[in-house]
Amino acid sequence: MGIKKVGAKPQTLVEKIFFLDFIKGLKTTIKHLWKKVITVDFPYEVVTPPIRFRGIHGLRTVDGTENPEFDSWVKRLKIKPPEPGETRCIACKFCQAACPVPELFDIQSEKLDVPEDHPHYGLKVMTVFNMDLSKCTFCGLCTQACPTDCIIMTDIYDLSSYTRKSWVLDKDVLTQIANDFVARRGKEKFDEKSAWREDQKLWPEYDKTRERLWDFNMPRLGPNYQDQTA
Amino acid sequence: MAWISLEKAKKLEERFGYPKVSEGKGVVSVEVPKDKFIEFLTFLKEDPEYQFKMFIDLTIIDHGEKEDPRFQGVVILFSPKNQERIIVKTWAENETLPTLTNLWKGAKWAEREAWDMFGIKFEGHENLVRMLLWETYPYHPLRKDFPLEGIKDTELPSLNESLRGENLEGLFNYDRMHTALPTMEDLEITQKKRMPAKTSQIVLNWGPLHPGTHGTIWFLFDLDGEYVKQCDIIIGQLHRGVEKLGENVNWQQFIPYTDRMDYIAAINENHAYVLAAEKMLGIEVPEKAKWIRTMMAELSRINSHLLWLGTYALDLGALTMFLYTFREREKIMDIIEGITGARFTINYFRIGGVFADLPYGALDAIEHLIKDLPQRINDYETLLTRNRIWLSRNKDVCVITEEDVYQYGLTGAVARGSGVPYDVRKIDKYDAYGEVEFDIPVGEKGDSYDRYLVRMEEMRQSIRIIQQCIAKLRKMSKNDPYFFQTPDEKKLKVTIDGRGMKLPAGETYASSDNPRGELGFYIYNKKDGLKAHRMRIRSGAFYNLQVFTKAIIGRPIADAITLLSTIDPVVGETDR
Ligand code: SF4
Ligand code: SF4
Repeated sequence: MGIKKVGAKPQTLVEKIFFLDFIKGLKTTIKHLWKKVITVDFPYEVVTPPIRFRGIHGLRTVDGTENPEFDSWVKRLKIKPPEPGETRCIACKFCQAACPVPELFDIQSEKLDVPEDHPHYGLKVMTVFNMDLSKCTFCGLCTQACPTDCIIMTDIYDLSSYTRKSWVLDKDVLTQIANDFVARRGKEKFDEKSAWREDQKLWPEYDKTRERLWDFNMPRLGPNYQDQTA
Repeated sequence: MAWISLEKAKKLEERFGYPKVSEGKGVVSVEVPKDKFIEFLTFLKEDPEYQFKMFIDLTIIDHGEKEDPRFQGVVILFSPKNQERIIVKTWAENETLPTLTNLWKGAKWAEREAWDMFGIKFEGHENLVRMLLWETYPYHPLRKDFPLEGIKDTELPSLNESLRGENLEGLFNYDRMHTALPTMEDLEITQKKRMPAKTSQIVLNWGPLHPGTHGTIWFLFDLDGEYVKQCDIIIGQLHRGVEKLGENVNWQQFIPYTDRMDYIAAINENHAYVLAAEKMLGIEVPEKAKWIRTMMAELSRINSHLLWLGTYALDLGALTMFLYTFREREKIMDIIEGITGARFTINYFRIGGVFADLPYGALDAIEHLIKDLPQRINDYETLLTRNRIWLSRNKDVCVITEEDVYQYGLTGAVARGSGVPYDVRKIDKYDAYGEVEFDIPVGEKGDSYDRYLVRMEEMRQSIRIIQQCIAKLRKMSKNDPYFFQTPDEKKLKVTIDGRGMKLPAGETYASSDNPRGELGFYIYNKKDGLKAHRMRIRSGAFYNLQVFTKAIIGRPIADAITLLSTIDPVVGETDR
């Protein structure tokens, strides 16, 4: 059944007298003496997080790359059709429903205050979207539940702050974070329909700092599967 | 399958008359009356045909206040001879059960935990004190009538509020009322009750905050000079009620919480849980997901063993090792981060597969890593294995015998170090483990040195498994599914985000071989539900830690570090 016995072998006399065990050990240590430093001098140097990194959340805006069902979701939930630049959030609360800590969300929507003959009469907009990230487990389930790909996770990991209050992000901050991220690395992560790209790389190859923690011997990234192309 | 067959269990029914055999989801359980409980278990343990010698787990199900009797005891046993398991149940009438400690010593802690969490008294137990909470705590939190957020009867204002005068409202509002906290007095009472028959003048305390304990474990040693005469361990400082949470969140939503049990090997924790849930649903995950999961689980095992090796050597005075293993660990973490998006609390597996396919270049990076790794492991061994200091601090230190393995339900490298080839990967053949080739390393003597050698060999075997996984994955197509596709949404809904996912009624037990032993999930569902009725987590680290109290007896106090390091518990998992 594939059992392999391991056991102690006693030290031989030669080993004992000539301290061979120590000498061999020292050889390994000395070999390392000539190696280059492999640590990164944070915060003066940083490693760019991989594209799948699950950092602080963001709320995406309408920019013409919505998924095909976006319009039907907007209609179904009686949301005012958003203009480009407005949030994609339709206040469906799916993200909250999928979250292991649902109480960290505070999502509200309101009916628009317009006269009856206005085209937007009876439609709603999302007005409040607060997230208390001190309770978040950064599991990513909310991003997988969102039908409009509105809520995403970015590569920002610096959450430290002096007060608990600053862990609560509102919709403007979240939108800002997402806009920044999409401008910076959106092309790397999402395709034209806002889904995850199929050829997301394991980590960004333009990042040279990472080489260091790989002993200056980085693997070359290639396709995983036989029918995958670069 | 690693369970007793239904026919064989029916034979028990014929023979005794009183057992009631029932089939769960891939498991077989036998219900016996309480007064015949011990008799029946003794038969199972000693009968040459069955030989359920090995203790796996003991727990309680609370069926709710309205039921009478309300509590049910559940025992899971394993037969090393036949390689099969069985569940034995009995009703805890009058909230008591007979103790099993005369049959299996390992039941001692399990029964204390059951008393702590459910308030079930075990008649004949030598010292039935609480396991995880402190002695003066008035409630039994896993009872169904205990609310998830606890009973808030202690005022504890937020620090921000008292220091900065912040007015906290809405989401910012932190409740001033909290559940009870132990005071110094409570802790003193707890400590005294744990070791009522101390003989020396003072009891040596080690921990709860000591770097050598690798977490918050609190040891009590009763010493005779330098030699330990009695020992007990107070755990629970990291108890977060994961089992309770498991009964109060939806199925996929529970996975992030399992990450936070054994945080060193989060992937393996996820693995055991999704296996149990999939067994409950009765689904097969796609081929690709199986191989990805096997590969990731082994990667995580190497990751965990590297941390173990580094800190173990550090504790025994070899600082360099720590730096070397952390270098390799960093690379593994880097790969895991690229694939899953997180380094530590990974949450990559899902009930039904994994949440995303491998990113471009993942297999290349892993291949690159494992090409280098055997040489590194040899380097480590040159530093340690033959070193005379290492030998004298490990050889013949704290021997754990084969009998201990069965008595205490030891699993993982601790069992294998004592010469018992118990490996759930071979027994259950979950995911792709049935199709890969690897050896189980076993030790000869059961001393600390054997446990060290076993783990070193395990890393090499993991590399072997990963190589086979990569070769297999290379042959697959990028379009192969990585997540379960349901044939009929109405009948069976399995979603990646977990909304609206229901698991059927029934009971099941599934486990995986963690770097720290067998991690099992026993799930009991009364009816189809979004949440579990009972979620029991059988923690390998918990049972392995228990043997510490026996193996240290008669040894000098300095061996405590060696023993603890070679048992390698993680407090997140022992405390849950
Ligand atoms: S990442 Fe997880 S915990 Fe955080 S908001 Fe999303 S679902 Fe909730
Ligand atoms: S799931 Fe998406 S669209 Fe729905 S409320 Fe959450 S962020 Fe908004």
